[in-house]
Amino acid sequence: MGSIALRGICKSFGGIEVIHGIDLEIANGELVVFVGPSGCGKSTLLRLIAGLERPSSGLIEIDGRDVTRLGAADRGLAMVFQSYALYPHMTVRQNLSFGLENLRMPKAEIAARVAEAARMLAIGDLLERRPAQLSGGQRQRVAIGRAIVRNPTAFLLDEPLSNLDAELRGTMRAELAALHDRLGATMIYVTHDQIEAMTLADRIVVLRRGRIEQVDTPLNLYNRPANLFVAGFIGSPAMNLFRTEARGGRAVLPGGIDLPVPADGPVVLGIRPQHLHPAGPDEAGIPAELRLVEALGAETVLHGITDSGEPLVAVIDGQPAVTRGQRLRLAFDPADMHLFDAGGRRIG
Amino acid sequence: MLPFVLAARVLEPVLALWQRRTGHAGMIAVFLIPNMTIFGIFVIVPLVLNLLYSFTGGAEILLEQRPWVGMQQYERLLDCQNHLQPMTCREDQFWRAVHNTARFVLSQVALMVTVSMITALILNRRIAGRGLWRAVFFFPVLLSPVVVGLIWRWILQREGLLNLIVVRLGGDPVIWLNDRFWAFAAAVGVSTWAHMGFYTLILLAGLQAIPRDLYEAAEMDATPPSRVFWRITLPLLGPNLAVVLVLALIRAVQIFDEAYVLTGGGPGTATMFMTQYIYEVGFASFLRNPGLAAAASILMGGLLVVLTLIQLALSRRAERMRQR
Repeated sequence: MGSIALRGICKSFGGIEVIHGIDLEIANGELVVFVGPSGCGKSTLLRLIAGLERPSSGLIEIDGRDVTRLGAADRGLAMVFQSYALYPHMTVRQNLSFGLENLRMPKAEIAARVAEAARMLAIGDLLERRPAQLSGGQRQRVAIGRAIVRNPTAFLLDEPLSNLDAELRGTMRAELAALHDRLGATMIYVTHDQIEAMTLADRIVVLRRGRIEQVDTPLNLYNRPANLFVAGFIGSPAMNLFRTEARGGRAVLPGGIDLPVPADGPVVLGIRPQHLHPAGPDEAGIPAELRLVEALGAETVLHGITDSGEPLVAVIDGQPAVTRGQRLRLAFDPADMHLFDAGGRRIG
Repeated sequence: MLPFVLAARVLEPVLALWQRRTGHAGMIAVFLIPNMTIFGIFVIVPLVLNLLYSFTGGAEILLEQRPWVGMQQYERLLDCQNHLQPMTCREDQFWRAVHNTARFVLSQVALMVTVSMITALILNRRIAGRGLWRAVFFFPVLLSPVVVGLIWRWILQREGLLNLIVVRLGGDPVIWLNDRFWAFAAAVGVSTWAHMGFYTLILLAGLQAIPRDLYEAAEMDATPPSRVFWRITLPLLGPNLAVVLVLALIRAVQIFDEAYVLTGGGPGTATMFMTQYIYEVGFASFLRNPGLAAAASILMGGLLVVLTLIQLALSRRAERMRQR
């Protein structure tokens, strides 16, 4: 089992509250990703769950048991640190077995667990090396191995791939996903990389300034962001947003596109760059002047500016024959449009 | 400022000409020569003179008036039936000083490393007034050794502060500095007090260089505090600890000033150390023997060179480990 519940968790540092009443339920076996910009409190929240920080108020439950006042050692969790935190003076084998020795586990059992973790992570030939003799990816594996050998209730991973180069990060991401499937263990994963969040998570927790903005599956976050922050944070490039006034159930976008909206007053209309395409001759579109064309091969990213001076980004499949400075009209299917009220909450 | 400006104006064309003639290597020589000259006059020349003195005899000061005796001074110093019993040695005072120094080094270095380590561990914790405590422990390092010796003599003398407290508490006064055991203990304790701030600082720097993540990983690994110290802190502090050990060792072998002001080497020869022996034989005693003092200082210098080489090797190792 490995269910985790946070109930009204608050955390203050020196009188400044950084986590404001977080409520969250994580089911056994779930891979939940905490994502958000720097300083949003995602790592603090993970450390609170780990027991490395104590909450100012609220409850933390693991498998229904209140562990709020328990130390990190008594929570049955394992953590993979951003810096890996491998003991530099110990070999890989000693790093893996150190925690088990603390539990006074029989030597044969320790050896068996270390061997199994080494086999699982393909680090068997590295066991007698020290961390300084390993590459970044190998250190990452050892750090995960150190967590695995303890057979924890849940794994806590604090930006574990952030020190790796882009190629290795992709490989390790796939390995982590495979590992989660194989172990079936609860994992909480902190990252600021939304690709990691989208590809790994069963559910994503989007945090901002110590508060949860939305908790949902990756695709729901993408398709139905609960507010403007999530809409802007999830998806790359970020969603195009147009502030306008709805009157009589209709709103007008740049280029005179008249759309029905279930609201009156100030609203924000959002359209993802991937949902824009060059308008046909009889199709309504947002006119824009292209300021930058990024040809990526399979797709092309167009950065433009509308006649009313608002930035507009579109991702077009293939390699359209467009150049910087060209004027273009970009159309979209109204069904793909997101609508937010003046307070930034989703209304349609 | 004006004289410096004028000197620069005058020197500039001379140096420019020198650089054109000799190139890069010549300029290196220009900048090194002043320092090397001072180093040569005040270090190399005395060292060579000292070596020459050690091969001469008599009480005369000027070298040309001293007869050449070859290795006699060394033979005299090393002539012993049993080196562990100074009484059996021809130069028994020297061997008493060697024994005292050895006992001093062993006890003082052990005490110094232990106390510095404990202090560094405490000062590394989040305690109230941590900055103030660090300053308090470092302050004695700033004092002149003579001042240190005098302060503690006033505390430990017959009518000193310590006896005042002992008497107030109903005890009998103790003549601390006239008792062989207490005088030696005072020399060890006072020199430890005077220098521990420096070693504490080195160890504190080492402790602060250990990443906090490692302790958090150990916490997640359910590591008991004693095991954290023995298995994580101590090994990672090893290079700093080794540097502290060797520096303290070198310093302890050189012990002179505080101990001399505090006890004057007494009672008897209980606190006479090698440096004091060299000083007294060379300059202070009625029958002074500069050759014998020079030979003793060469032997002590050899020991210090070995210790310094070890210290350098350990410092380099520490640097390599830090860069890893």
